[in-house]
Amino acid sequence: MNKNMLVCTIVSVVMLAPLLAGQAPDKEELKLQLPKPMFIGTPTNIKSPNLEAITGKSRGPFMVPVGTKLLSLKRPVTSSDRQPVIGELEMVTDGEKEGGDGYFIELGPSKQWVQIDLGAPCELHAILAWHYHSQARVYRDVIVQVSDDKDFLKGVTTVFNNDHDNSSGLGVGKDKEYIEVAEGRLFDPKGAKGRYLRLYSNGNTANDLNHYVEVEVYGTPSK
Amino acid sequence: MNRFAFACLMGVALAIALAFRLAAPDLRPMHHDEANQAVKFGTLLETGEYQYDREDHHGPTLYYLTLPAAWARGQSTLASLDEQTLRVVPAVFGSALILLLPLLAGGLGRGAIAAGALLSALSPALTYYSRFYIQETLLVFFTIGFLIALGRYAQRPAMATACWAGVCAGLAYATKETSVIVVPAAAAAALVAHRFSRAPGGSAGVRVAHLAAGTAAALAVAFVFYSSFFRHPSGLLESVRAFSTYINRGVAAGSHIQPWDYYLRLLSFSSSGGLVWTEGLILALALVGVVVAVRRSSAGFWPTYVALYSVITAVAFSLVPYKTPWNLLPFYIGFVLLAGLGAAALVGSARSRVARGLAVAVLLAAAWHLGVQDWRANFRYQADPRNPYVYAQTSPDFPRLARRIADLAGVHPDRNRMLVKVMAGPYEQWPLPWYLRRMTRVGYWSRAAEAGRLDDVPVIIASQENADAVNAVVGDTHVSEFYGLRPDVLLTVYIDRTLWSHFLK
Repeated sequence: MNKNMLVCTIVSVVMLAPLLAGQAPDKEELKLQLPKPMFIGTPTNIKSPNLEAITGKSRGPFMVPVGTKLLSLKRPVTSSDRQPVIGELEMVTDGEKEGGDGYFIELGPSKQWVQIDLGAPCELHAILAWHYHSQARVYRDVIVQVSDDKDFLKGVTTVFNNDHDNSSGLGVGKDKEYIEVAEGRLFDPKGAKGRYLRLYSNGNTANDLNHYVEVEVYGTPSK
Repeated sequence: MNRFAFACLMGVALAIALAFRLAAPDLRPMHHDEANQAVKFGTLLETGEYQYDREDHHGPTLYYLTLPAAWARGQSTLASLDEQTLRVVPAVFGSALILLLPLLAGGLGRGAIAAGALLSALSPALTYYSRFYIQETLLVFFTIGFLIALGRYAQRPAMATACWAGVCAGLAYATKETSVIVVPAAAAAALVAHRFSRAPGGSAGVRVAHLAAGTAAALAVAFVFYSSFFRHPSGLLESVRAFSTYINRGVAAGSHIQPWDYYLRLLSFSSSGGLVWTEGLILALALVGVVVAVRRSSAGFWPTYVALYSVITAVAFSLVPYKTPWNLLPFYIGFVLLAGLGAAALVGSARSRVARGLAVAVLLAAAWHLGVQDWRANFRYQADPRNPYVYAQTSPDFPRLARRIADLAGVHPDRNRMLVKVMAGPYEQWPLPWYLRRMTRVGYWSRAAEAGRLDDVPVIIASQENADAVNAVVGDTHVSEFYGLRPDVLLTVYIDRTLWSHFLK
């Protein structure tokens, strides 16, 4: 390195240092409270190219914009099945995530959805969902959508869709299926905006019913 | 209770039984045992050929008695069969059981029989296995027929009654090998009950000619069925030789080994995944019925007889280490009759009309609760592992696999001749042969290495043990899906990518 280049570098660093020091980081790790696992180990015998790889390890940190908050706690929930056989719809956002009896709702067979009203349009940065984590099972046609329209007829953003054969009729999804575990499934909405969040499923590998232990939506109010 | 009220209540019980047993027969996916029986029956239907297999399968009555159902629906091949044709057979026998019960009214009382009929119509266990294409409901029907005939013979010996008992015993034996528990249990119960009761008109004992005629009737009926209507005369002998297999199976270690109180726990209380189940009402009333039977033992033959039969068979089945939930039916029907006796005794013990009305109202409310459970067990949680009567049941996810293959065949040039290769162990192959019965080119192998070339096969089905080997061979030429066969047992389906594209269009 010649002398001129060295001088330029030192001058640049000296000039930019105050700017860099004064700027706060724009991302932080999303802090989550996870329930204890209900089954030991992972079902390693389940292998399929259409199934997310089972690593047996925890998910690792997920970064979100600073100021991201839990928006869904105690927010009102509606569903395609208005009278679940087991549980109450409020349990989807009650903050209780344990896998045992008394912590989940059970919706009817075939395609069903739950919808959370966040109260106002928000910018979403993480969605965490637990369908049922006391048994290794895969829920079919998991589709997560965000919209400002409570009927999801317009302005719909699809965050996740693993309905690879379009059997639920909302379009072919490219995402893979996954096995339910205690740490839940984290969906990255990538800043999608909307007031309402809707999650679909279409039965599971153990039975044709649909379950939710908890759904958490993290984000910031829309600017 | 007068005859008219009794007839009305029996009619109501029969209507409830038929409604619960016949409605939506295809709602629950075929259990692998049902599928196995269905394919066996398909061979009989298509070729007229049946030969008793002493290593596997039970007696032949189920298959022969399914023939009229298939003929009535104009079905002549395995491919044309459906769940309705098969399951209507146990459903009809499970309902017809109620028609046998009035024959016990003289011994147990009309009130007891009416209550017992209503409880048997509403019992989740009796209903659930009456919707199952297995031998148990037929066995219960023939056993109750034998129980009634033997009891009547004990009361008033006659050649016709002895032959009736013999025919029922023969049919029970030609249905399932566990008849060797229930038939002697009924005989022992009749002997003891007769000795301890001093009922008027009691018999002086068994006459040799009657015994010979009854035995001959039983052997003749068993021979007709086991010999496949005289085609394979050694069939009856084979059924005797099968006992070494069943005795070994009954005591050998394996997944069906359960503790002695398995049946009692199953019926009394179970709680799983937010669902609670109990047939405690029947058990509690049956206990009252046993008390009534003991109290009346010196005066009445029938209460003692039914109580002894129920207890002896319950103890015998509980002592056999090999247990499957449907094996409880032969003794549980006795408990249901005792529960009817208990219910009638409770109502009868009320001193005023108001108290009697209250007792009836409480019992009806409890019966309603039983009915709600019956509906849940058969129409909501019919294949859910939380249902205590569900046992190694095929997952509701599995018929999706069958529909997928049918849909793929619909867009494949070969249609139902599309080649399907299955690579799975025997336990994971069933009930595929039933669900793929309309596909004419399906091959089964235990290991992928034995199945030959795979990359040009339109559809491959592999167990998880074979998935790695198949993945390595097909690479990117196939898309994959997986389906639940049973809890924690998945099958992977590989579909040729070109076929998949056609399908998505």
